[in-house]
Amino acid sequence: MIEIRDLHKHYDTAEGRISVLRGIDLQVPSRSITAVVGPSGAGKSTLSHCISLLEKPSNGQILVDGKDLSALSGKALRAERRAIGTIFQNSALLRRMTVAENIALPLRNLGVVHHQMQDRVAELLDRVGLADKANAYPGQLSGGQRQRVGIARALALRPRLLLSDESTSGLDPESTAQVLELLDSLRSDLGLAIILITHEMDVVRHVADQVAQLDHGRIAEYGQVRELVSSPVSQTGAKLLPLRPEPLPVGFDYELAVAYRQRNVDPTWLTRLAVEHNARVALLGGSVESHHEGTLGRVRLGVAGLDAAEVISLLDSWGLTATVRDGWEPAETERIEVAV
Amino acid sequence: MRIPTESAAVGTDTPLAELPALLLPAYGQTWAMVGIVMVLVISLGGAMGVALYNTDRHGLFPQARIHAVLSWVANMGRSLPFLVLMAAIIPFTKWVTGTTIGIAAAVVPMTLAGIPFFARLVQNALNDLPRENLAVGLVTGGSPTQVISTTQIREALPALASAITLNTISMIEYSAIAGTIGAGGIGYLAVTYGYQRFDMNVMLATIVVLILTVQIVQFLGDRIARALARP
Ligand SMILES: Nc1ncnc2c1ncn2[C@@H]1O[C@H](COP(=O)(O)OP(=O)(O)OP(=O)(O)O)[C@@H](O)[C@H]1O
Ligand SMILES: [Mg+2]
Repeated sequence: MIEIRDLHKHYDTAEGRISVLRGIDLQVPSRSITAVVGPSGAGKSTLSHCISLLEKPSNGQILVDGKDLSALSGKALRAERRAIGTIFQNSALLRRMTVAENIALPLRNLGVVHHQMQDRVAELLDRVGLADKANAYPGQLSGGQRQRVGIARALALRPRLLLSDESTSGLDPESTAQVLELLDSLRSDLGLAIILITHEMDVVRHVADQVAQLDHGRIAEYGQVRELVSSPVSQTGAKLLPLRPEPLPVGFDYELAVAYRQRNVDPTWLTRLAVEHNARVALLGGSVESHHEGTLGRVRLGVAGLDAAEVISLLDSWGLTATVRDGWEPAETERIEVAV
Repeated sequence: MRIPTESAAVGTDTPLAELPALLLPAYGQTWAMVGIVMVLVISLGGAMGVALYNTDRHGLFPQARIHAVLSWVANMGRSLPFLVLMAAIIPFTKWVTGTTIGIAAAVVPMTLAGIPFFARLVQNALNDLPRENLAVGLVTGGSPTQVISTTQIREALPALASAITLNTISMIEYSAIAGTIGAGGIGYLAVTYGYQRFDMNVMLATIVVLILTVQIVQFLGDRIARALARP
């Protein structure tokens, strides 16, 4: 379990003090992936540098299994930081080292004896599916392969936490999928806590369990991916599964925002609403997709011929959450401040 | 080696057959000077270059003050033409070596000129490395020595080989200039025979030797840099 407590980071510049992180509290349970999303300049990379212990927080703690690592320096820091494996954007492999040498770097820095190092590297190469590339140089690999080498290097010292800052940005969809699949399997096989910093909402939806929305150095919204997506008022949920619905056509009484709440919603619910309950239903927009924890979906409907309260309670009994929308966008205009 | 004198016939060319006997010892002296100087320059200038890079903003120990001082020293060392530097530090040279002529006396100004030059080349080579290398070295648990050796020097080896090549060629040139204060070597030969006695054969021979030497050094340097580069 990784816990970040009241993390602050400011920089003193010629123009004065810039507060980049202003009290971040975050718990990342083992065996789970927490995504951190947020607009450019929100402080995501600064948070990442603090967690990977490259920068000292101005205030606050980073606890790994109860031990605060943020205050350490020198030898003590080098000894303890192996609990945190870091994956970089563009993999950041050393170009003059082979794949095997890159993966062995943390072991070599630690002074692990040669044959143990070789065994561990072979194991890691296997784990990331690159056993045949041990002696290749990074320049001879594809972006996705390089990133998997970067992951193997981060795993070398058996960390408790894997931290990734934009590790899939710049990769093609297929390589991204491979990297995500790998992270997904590491979570369950090694029981890792994973922090995934990203701006790609697809990535969050596909692998993350929790998501924290960072804004101006604070966590503006936090929750389970499923919960946020199935909340009709969550701003992060709206970003995770964005919709651009048609306007309500003439002849319809009201517009409903519907979200999948339960994991196994009957896929014929729309038919049932129309056929069994005689509602006139117009599909205005929607996105339904499979997620590792069941279906995620957000749908916009125009409804006529059936009372809104009745429809909402029907849908509720089918595992769907619905709210009537009255012309404006609560999800996109309302800020939900969780941490203040 | 024949000692040239004023009374020697002006314009008398050394016979071609005698050139090797004249050139070879001088060539050996040139390489002795350049060799000693390069050993000092690579170790001291290399250390200064690593210090310049690592005290800078993105280095291992950002120290704006120390960086500014180092940078100022490096600029000062390169701002004087070599001939002027050589003359200006004669008292220092005498204090270090006890003499103001000969190989030992030439090594001092050459080293002093070479260190800041090489330091800047090393700094540039390190600046060309990807920025993330430092973070990689640190998060993989590297000590400062490990970070510098694996993520900086080792990664910059091809560029450092080119830097050493460039520096060696400069030092060959400086050794010829140092020849004018009686340092010996090819430069001394060119001055005493070619310039003072209009000995065309010696003059041409030294030119040919210098051109070939520089070409060969550059060729080998390029080969080594290429061998060190990775795909
Ligand atoms: N060393 C520094 N000195 C001063 N300001 C800094 C420093 N590092 C970051 N900042 C500022 O902190 C803010 C957050 O930067 P950060 O890189 O963490 O954002 P980010 O969320 O990662 O953005 P992006 O999505 O563009 O990567 C920015 O306004 C940046 O200018
Ligand atoms: Mg960033």
